[in-house]
Amino acid sequence: MTFTALGRRALDTAAARGASYADVRFEDGRSERIEVRNGVVATLDDATSVGYGVRALVEGAWGFAASADLTEPGVDAAAARAVEIAVAGAAVARQRFGEAPSDVHVDRYVTPVERDPDAVPLGERVALLLDAEGLLHGDPRVSVGRAWLDLWRTEKEFYSTTGSQIAQSLCQTGSGISALAVDDSDAQDRSFPGDIGLYQSGGWEVVERAALRENAARVGSEAVQLLAAPQCPQGEFDIVLGGSQVSLQIHESCGHAAELDRVLGWEANFSGTSFLDPAELGTLRYGSDHVTIVVDNTLPGGLATVGYDDEGTKSIRSDIVRGGLLVGFEMSRDTARTIGRASNACVRAASWQYVPMIRMCNLNLVPGPHAFDALFDDIADGIYMESNRSWSIDDHRLNFQFGCQIGWEIKNGKRGRMVKNPTYAGVTPRFWGSCDAVADERSWVAWGTPNCGKGEPMQTGRTAQCASPARFRRVAVGIGYRA
Amino acid sequence: MRSPEREALAQRVLQRSPSDDTEVIVFDEDASLTRFTHNAIHQNVASSDVVVRVRAVTGGRTGVAATNDLGDDGIARVVARAVEIARLAPPDPEQAELVASPAAAPNPAAYVAATADTSADLRAALARRIFDAAEGSGLWAAGFVTTSRGGVTVANSRGTLQSFDGTESGVNVKQNGPTSSGFAEFYSTDVGALDGAAVGAVAAEKALRSADPVDVAPGEWTVVLEPPAFGELAAFLAEHFSAQSYDEGSSFFSGKRGERFAGENVTIVDDVRHALNPAMPFDYEGTPTQRVVLMEGGAARGLVTDDRWARKLGIDNTGHALPAPNAFGPFAGHLVIEPGTLTRDELVAATKRGLLISRLWYVRTVDQRQTIVTGMTRDGTFLIENGQVTRGVRNLRFNQSIVEALGSCTFARELVRTASYSYSMVVPAVRFERFTFSSTTQF
Repeated sequence: MTFTALGRRALDTAAARGASYADVRFEDGRSERIEVRNGVVATLDDATSVGYGVRALVEGAWGFAASADLTEPGVDAAAARAVEIAVAGAAVARQRFGEAPSDVHVDRYVTPVERDPDAVPLGERVALLLDAEGLLHGDPRVSVGRAWLDLWRTEKEFYSTTGSQIAQSLCQTGSGISALAVDDSDAQDRSFPGDIGLYQSGGWEVVERAALRENAARVGSEAVQLLAAPQCPQGEFDIVLGGSQVSLQIHESCGHAAELDRVLGWEANFSGTSFLDPAELGTLRYGSDHVTIVVDNTLPGGLATVGYDDEGTKSIRSDIVRGGLLVGFEMSRDTARTIGRASNACVRAASWQYVPMIRMCNLNLVPGPHAFDALFDDIADGIYMESNRSWSIDDHRLNFQFGCQIGWEIKNGKRGRMVKNPTYAGVTPRFWGSCDAVADERSWVAWGTPNCGKGEPMQTGRTAQCASPARFRRVAVGIGYRA
Repeated sequence: MRSPEREALAQRVLQRSPSDDTEVIVFDEDASLTRFTHNAIHQNVASSDVVVRVRAVTGGRTGVAATNDLGDDGIARVVARAVEIARLAPPDPEQAELVASPAAAPNPAAYVAATADTSADLRAALARRIFDAAEGSGLWAAGFVTTSRGGVTVANSRGTLQSFDGTESGVNVKQNGPTSSGFAEFYSTDVGALDGAAVGAVAAEKALRSADPVDVAPGEWTVVLEPPAFGELAAFLAEHFSAQSYDEGSSFFSGKRGERFAGENVTIVDDVRHALNPAMPFDYEGTPTQRVVLMEGGAARGLVTDDRWARKLGIDNTGHALPAPNAFGPFAGHLVIEPGTLTRDELVAATKRGLLISRLWYVRTVDQRQTIVTGMTRDGTFLIENGQVTRGVRNLRFNQSIVEALGSCTFARELVRTASYSYSMVVPAVRFERFTFSSTTQF
């Protein structure tokens, strides 16, 4: 049977068993990973997974059941299980979380792809990684070189009892390199692009954009240079963060903080809550006037770009922080209703096995007017940091400490000598309040995060925080190491 | 799908493969989780899947493909794809022929039928008892009740055939008040051992007792970490005992095997047969998993290996492989930290001034070789004064070398299983004489 026929059957079964609303999401996913490690192809995997998840709503309680059984009895059993779970929840409900939606969409979305990854022979893919990894080893102190490539293709079909029928064909791609240099007393990592590679929606063109071969020798050399570099100084400094580190900063201190499920306490026991409060929409100063952050799931190339989210809501662009003021959240239908708003389509499931939940999706810092080099201009004594190495933030998303792979002193507006183990720390609104310059679109990159952990059972989501480098004043630097 | 069905499926795969060597792993899981917040269930999920992973090895060339399409066509496609990838892959001079492994002794304590058959109603009833504990204390509960069953079969064309069936259940509760929160957890292979009311009450007591927390100054403190907090730290030690990390220079004791790094009271083992955490008794290459003493009397001694790293270093294969080939190397996934002689309460009573810490959050490596990690306290942080827990304190950020902390520590005698999405281990509470905090937060 087709997904369409099976989907209809699942919805009919759920309704017959008492669901006031149900939807079913089929996914046929294929993931390929190649990883070269020290000259050897350490991973060459090709995995396919087909299945579906049924959501059923009974008296305001949700039930979700996922199965790979694509037979008619299998679909009946999964739909019945979803209803049975919802009924069990409704029996002990102290409040109603769910309500049936009314919007209906019949549509199809396809990720724009310039070069189909399937048209690139496996030998060519492996050769690229072997070449790039080999170029990392310009010095024998490079103990571990790695080069990797991920290709993800997903065919999705979504059906709901309100009549939505949405088909999506998604393609996401990523690649990167890293070098670990070791001597008798130290080990230093350097990776590129950013700290986890370049991950975007699209085809083989994303791999070409990463320019792994072109940068590998430099990356290996920097890892070795870090072994002998002086320790990053401690104290309060003006800092400039490279674009991928700004991306991480957005992810941790804005992206997770502005997930409305966290704000409402729905993630309290695990990933925590948030310092943000819906009562402060339009009044809370999250950052300086230079800080505007938008969620845009229509962005070409964004890793989280789709036509519709996994509740069947159409992708849009909406503001989260405008000129430093908090003006919005990342929302699902159920959470948006609690604050009198409509969903901005920020719901995703990691795969068919998982229930859809709020994700930050593409959450982007709007570029400023400055050339990248101009960020250094009036810094007398500061630090420039690139590529994340360590990241930690409290469960209200306030107190953070991040470390980078590499730093350079800034002296009188010029980049100076390399320093190792740079770290910085702060409190979220104070830190973003100290931002006084954001670089322009020439250095703005759609940085993807393919490994965002959230939820129970844990789901690994693919998000993006597109950003350019930015400057922050009077930041605590050098935390974590003894003076 | 239990062992006999998985084994039959694995044989179907092996029979179809034309490769010189073929390995098949069948993963089966049916997992349910009832999640709640504000004393009500808001996510209630179940998922089942069976995945077949095929590794084809021919002349040092390896290809891997996986599928959950178990029909004849699906199996034929996944075998063909693995063989095709192996044909196209560059040869790996270190890739050895597969070997036949002896059968691992079973670990029957890992499977409890009642857990495998748990209903959504039972999970909801356990959750309701947690809500009752919250409401009786004027708090709101967030957390989950989970039950699952799973199985793994590993077979290869040289004759290896291993199967394992296991179950898991757990309760995780954070009780929340206006100015404080408290945490408790309990894990067992037997759902009958779960007591929602008891776990809910422990978390509630912590939340109530830490209400209206005060600031304390960061700096160096004596701390008592309860098992969930200690587990968060100890999880960062596991990778250091991998033969790969050791050989490549990223372990804290690389090149210094046998040297003492911690106090003489520190002994750490990896043990899949510990009564509190019984697990799969073989690895993903089908090798029986040995009990390995990783640290003994403070000396870093043991390394865990897989087939590749055992051959490379000329040492025993301890049976700690992840699905091969992989970039991560072998892994010690079932740590047990040997207990001391004092009770947890006696550890507190013997502390003149310190902090009692219930749980840690977002622990991340700052410096791999020095084992410096940073993270936050959460969900129940208390001041200890003259051996008494006197009041709650606001949460703090720490930056601390784990190995350095283990240089001066005392363990409690009660062992507890603690777990998260990324680890499951058995640890006691611990008192560290010196633990460094760098800042505080507002709650």
